[in-house]
Amino acid sequence: MAPSAATVRSFPRLSDPAPVPEPLPAIVCTGVTKSFYWYAHRTTSLRELFRRHLLRRPIHVRHPRFSLCGLDLRIAVGEGVALLGSNGSGKSTVLRLLAGIYQPTAGTIQVRGRVGTVLELGAGFHLELTGEENLALYGAMLGLGGREMAARTPEILAFADLGDFISMPVKYWSSGMQARLAFATAVCVDPDILLIDEVLAVGDQAFRERCFERLRSFKAQGGTLVAVTHDPAGIEELCPRAVWLEAGEVRGEGPTPEVVADYLRHAGQEG
Amino acid sequence: MRRSPAAWRGLVLHLVLRHLRVKYQRSVLGFLWTLLNPLLTIGVLFAVFRYVVRIQVPDYWAFLLSGYFVWSFAQQTLTAATTVLPEHAHLTRNLPLPGEALILATALSRLVEFLAEMLMVLVLLAVFHHHGVPASFLCLPVLVVLQLALVLGLTLAIATASTFFHDIQHAMPIGLMILFYASPVFYPAALVPEIARPLYALNPFAGLLTLYHSALFEGRAPDPGLAAATAAATALIAWIGYGTFRRYRALLPEIV
Repeated sequence: MAPSAATVRSFPRLSDPAPVPEPLPAIVCTGVTKSFYWYAHRTTSLRELFRRHLLRRPIHVRHPRFSLCGLDLRIAVGEGVALLGSNGSGKSTVLRLLAGIYQPTAGTIQVRGRVGTVLELGAGFHLELTGEENLALYGAMLGLGGREMAARTPEILAFADLGDFISMPVKYWSSGMQARLAFATAVCVDPDILLIDEVLAVGDQAFRERCFERLRSFKAQGGTLVAVTHDPAGIEELCPRAVWLEAGEVRGEGPTPEVVADYLRHAGQEG
Repeated sequence: MRRSPAAWRGLVLHLVLRHLRVKYQRSVLGFLWTLLNPLLTIGVLFAVFRYVVRIQVPDYWAFLLSGYFVWSFAQQTLTAATTVLPEHAHLTRNLPLPGEALILATALSRLVEFLAEMLMVLVLLAVFHHHGVPASFLCLPVLVVLQLALVLGLTLAIATASTFFHDIQHAMPIGLMILFYASPVFYPAALVPEIARPLYALNPFAGLLTLYHSALFEGRAPDPGLAAATAAATALIAWIGYGTFRRYRALLPEIV
């Protein structure tokens, strides 16, 4: 029991409503640092190999050492957070860490619930397999049984609306179609948390509308959303909070309109 | 991402089926290709070593059959070891798909084909070589487990190392060629000169293939000492291979 609660009211009465425990946050990152192996250890030539291992001389590292430096992030269940920042600022790295694809170099990450991801375009698909087969693979990866995935398939197909393409290998699809299936799959497997990278940009206008509609209802049902975007227009409704990353560090955080304004001002100066 | 054992099994099973499906789709002869390739190779080996080099083994074709498919399983799985992770890079970089599931699925899907091949081998040997079913055929499950553990251990180590050093991809064909001649695939281990035996025994495939030859070709129970030594070497290799993989597993998605 928190001490502050005890000082306010020492004797709760039976008629009082039961105290509502603070809900566990969906995502907690504490001091998360990610240093990519290749940046830190890459030995590009025999000479470097020789200097480093035989002469034990440190080599001059020209690469950026950290992709992410001491990120603290707490996202409550049902919250929507936009990640802003220029290319290479670490946004996608954050998503991959949250999805459990990368392991942090330091710090801890806690993610509660099933995670649906829409990362790189066309990624997460086996290009030789048809759309249907890829759906089954995705389900197996999430630990959904074949029957459970089969039950969801009609919904996914209806949402992606790919027609007969669904039974063709994904490699023959256009990039927009791949994005549609990726999004449809991720939202239709009942995730608690959705991680979305800048992939909606490729869908056509009608599909984008449907995506936004779907994300709205996802949020309304208590889903947690983390979205990477370069195009902050229209994101505010889904993500009232924004985090601005620059060179792996948080440059700004707060209500989306303010952070977006700061970010755009900064981007304008840079440009 | 943590998986329950059932989810893990489901994922690996799915990957195995998918691998087989991709391999045989749009191929009219399908599984026949899998059989045809080793059978043709066995034909060539038979012609060369029976009639040109004149290896003195009665029913030499039966000898070849009882070992060649084991070798071909190892060769194909080890070759795939260098490519399985890069081939799935677009998946592993974007989905929580563990590399060990991919590697295990590669070996297991090849094992499915191997078992089908073995069925054919057993029938041929029983009908045309032994004229009956020798009890030593019952050793086969144990030998298959040894074979899988040995190849998996090597595959895990090679897949990990080749992520860091692409040289391994270039070295693999040479390494496999040496291993082929250093293993009793087309000659019985008994032909190896006494002086080279200790060195020869270091090759775990030599032990494994000799066990197969005893059980399938000669039709008698394998030498327990050799079986124990091979099992020990296999356990060591599997342990080292898995240890290597575990140590670098977390780095693989960001490097491949």
